[in-house]
Amino acid sequence: MESSSRRKFLVTCLGAMGVTGLGAVLYPLFRYLSPSKDAEARQKVTFQLSELAEGGAHYFQMDGKAGVLVRPKGGTIAVFSAVCTHLGCIVQWQKAQDQFICPCHGGQFSAQGAVLGGPPPKPLEKLPFVVNGTTITIG
Amino acid sequence: MSLFRKIHDWLNVRLGVDDLVEKQLTGYLLPANINRWYSLGSVLLFIFTLQVISGVLLLVYYVPDADKAFSSVTAIMNTVPYGWLIRLCHVVGSNMMVLVLILHMLSVLFMGSYKRPRELNWLSGFVILTLVMAISLTGYLLPWSQLSFWATTVATNSAGAIPFVGSYLVEFLRGGTLVGPYTLGRFFALHVAVIPIGIVAMIGLHLFLLERIGVSAPPFGLPDTKNPWKGDRFRHEDHPGGIPFFPNYLLSDLTSVAIYLAFFLLILFFAPNMFLPKDAFIPANPFQTPAHIKPEWYFLPNYQTLKIFPNEFIGLMVQGVGITFLALLPFIDRGREQHPLKRPLFMVCAVGGILLWIGLMIWGHYS
Amino acid sequence: MKRLHNISFSRLIGVVITFLLVSVAPTLAEGDTVCIQCHGSQTGRGLAPVKPWQGSIHAANGISCNHCHGGDPTDSSNAMSPQRGFLGAPKELAIPDVCGRCHIGIKADYLRSAHGRALGKGGPTCVTCHGSHEVQKVSIELINEKNCSRCHSYDRARIIRGAMQQTEATLVALSQRLEEFKGRGVDTAGLEKRLFAQRNSYHSLFHEVNPAKITAESAKIAAELNLIKGSLDKIDAEHHQRKVIGAFAVGAALLGALLLNLLRRTYS
Repeated sequence: MESSSRRKFLVTCLGAMGVTGLGAVLYPLFRYLSPSKDAEARQKVTFQLSELAEGGAHYFQMDGKAGVLVRPKGGTIAVFSAVCTHLGCIVQWQKAQDQFICPCHGGQFSAQGAVLGGPPPKPLEKLPFVVNGTTITIG
Repeated sequence: MSLFRKIHDWLNVRLGVDDLVEKQLTGYLLPANINRWYSLGSVLLFIFTLQVISGVLLLVYYVPDADKAFSSVTAIMNTVPYGWLIRLCHVVGSNMMVLVLILHMLSVLFMGSYKRPRELNWLSGFVILTLVMAISLTGYLLPWSQLSFWATTVATNSAGAIPFVGSYLVEFLRGGTLVGPYTLGRFFALHVAVIPIGIVAMIGLHLFLLERIGVSAPPFGLPDTKNPWKGDRFRHEDHPGGIPFFPNYLLSDLTSVAIYLAFFLLILFFAPNMFLPKDAFIPANPFQTPAHIKPEWYFLPNYQTLKIFPNEFIGLMVQGVGITFLALLPFIDRGREQHPLKRPLFMVCAVGGILLWIGLMIWGHYS
Repeated sequence: MKRLHNISFSRLIGVVITFLLVSVAPTLAEGDTVCIQCHGSQTGRGLAPVKPWQGSIHAANGISCNHCHGGDPTDSSNAMSPQRGFLGAPKELAIPDVCGRCHIGIKADYLRSAHGRALGKGGPTCVTCHGSHEVQKVSIELINEKNCSRCHSYDRARIIRGAMQQTEATLVALSQRLEEFKGRGVDTAGLEKRLFAQRNSYHSLFHEVNPAKITAESAKIAAELNLIKGSLDKIDAEHHQRKVIGAFAVGAALLGALLLNLLRRTYS
């Protein structure tokens, strides 16, 4: 075989091996660094109703996201995602004013999650929950 | 004009890439009789790179807290996808690094490449050896297993033999009287930041010196094997009629790396527990020393030397003298001869020294 | 010759007797209870329990005379005083109470069993099978033809032993495999806990001496152990797969080395 055609053949073979090798290295690397699904597994969050004071709000983590349970004075219990629909900051419950205020740009939400003022485009996302006697289960 | 051509020309008029390629790659000539031992340096570069990459990846999941370190390593080995592969790469790689480094040093010794004008290269290489031993020692503690904890206790204890400052030195190394969370903190900082930067800097110096002075020619197959250096002025050692670095010697380097890789993968997949005895999988217990605790294989000769001498300080001194002799070898051995078979005194000392080192290691293993 | 006459003959006899006593009597250690100190220097019935107890699993775990018989192990004048709780050697009917002070669950199982119901009517007490002072670590060997056919035929005991032997063997094998996996870096914590729970269920099986129940329970334990074995087999399969990939990787590296070498040769 001519030297240059042999050379081309060898370079092609090595090139193919190199590409396969690169794939064999990059795939485990990608899997290694990927966030795992189980790390923030779907777990229901449970509270005792007695823990929750009237007029107060209770923050919790679910599915890796922040949520808030509100028990307004004389109102019904409501559970929302605490993530502001504007740019993702966490809304703060104002006990005195009976509403949520977002600290980033002043967005205001009612105790039922509706937008009262400020930049947020949509109301707070409602989260499903079930009350069983003295316990409340979210999720 | 093709795109490649256009880019090439753009870079060429700004950086002179053609000239660079000519000087560093195609026109960089190496001795015609160069042998495979010369590529151990490139293999070491490859091993070190792999260690840095696997180390940084381990950093993503490892927690350097005494309470969480062991469980974070267990998670890497069992839960994180391919975590076992990254961890084993790092463990096997660290032992390979020491092994190949010793082989590289032996090849330099036997081919007389430490002799003038390359004393600085030898010294910088010696510093790299010390740093690699230090990085291995500090890394050993990080998994916080019984093996880690107690091997570090034994190793740091030996500093106590130094008179006057000994016990203070031990406490300073450990960050406390005994090995504990403060030891983990400082060893982690050393292992992950300080020593790697040191090694990179020294490798840079080592390669600069190599290129500045020029590669030495192996003494084999030459009629006159005496060192040709005249010593009157600086002269880069050229090898006219030699092999170009690119593509010839580069391919030879890559072949050596591939052979190393085959050996490395063989150990990793088929004997990974060679370097991980069962004590490596038991969390550290400061109240219970396991039986038969001893350091890693490359520290066994030092360990055994300390055990031989009734006075620990003498044991340390003997090792200090030996290591200093090795470091200053180019200044002690001033002969011009490079061929190993024409240096009988050197051969006797070197072979004797190697056998003694291996003998102490085997003795240390079985004692 | 003159020197020999100087040594008093009676002194020589004294030395010989002391030597004989010391070699025959059980060794008394510094930390011994007064019970052992006194009984150890007696003969006949008084001496009888000392050596057997010293070789027992109770002695190895610091359980001494007073733990079963009561009394004061530190005061030789009041060691056997009822005011200090001394119970003496328990009568046959009281034996399960003495052992059951520590081995509570087993006493309950025993009293429920045919053996327990036959207590005082020719049935076995704890010491019938386990001994009183020479108690050893429990093993399946206690269920044997010689032991059990003292009172009845060996048939039912044989069934029980058969069922338990199987479980015992599986437990030992799984325990060894887990140790081996642990040495390879596998996280065995969860599996170790499950095995421990099964081992406990297994150990509490016997004293009811109910062959049907033991066979049924052994089957349940065997099923659980099978699940554990399944998990271990899965890990083994995964490790085997890694080795196969490893073989490919090594082969590829060697092939790469060969091709690179051939390529280099085309340039010389």
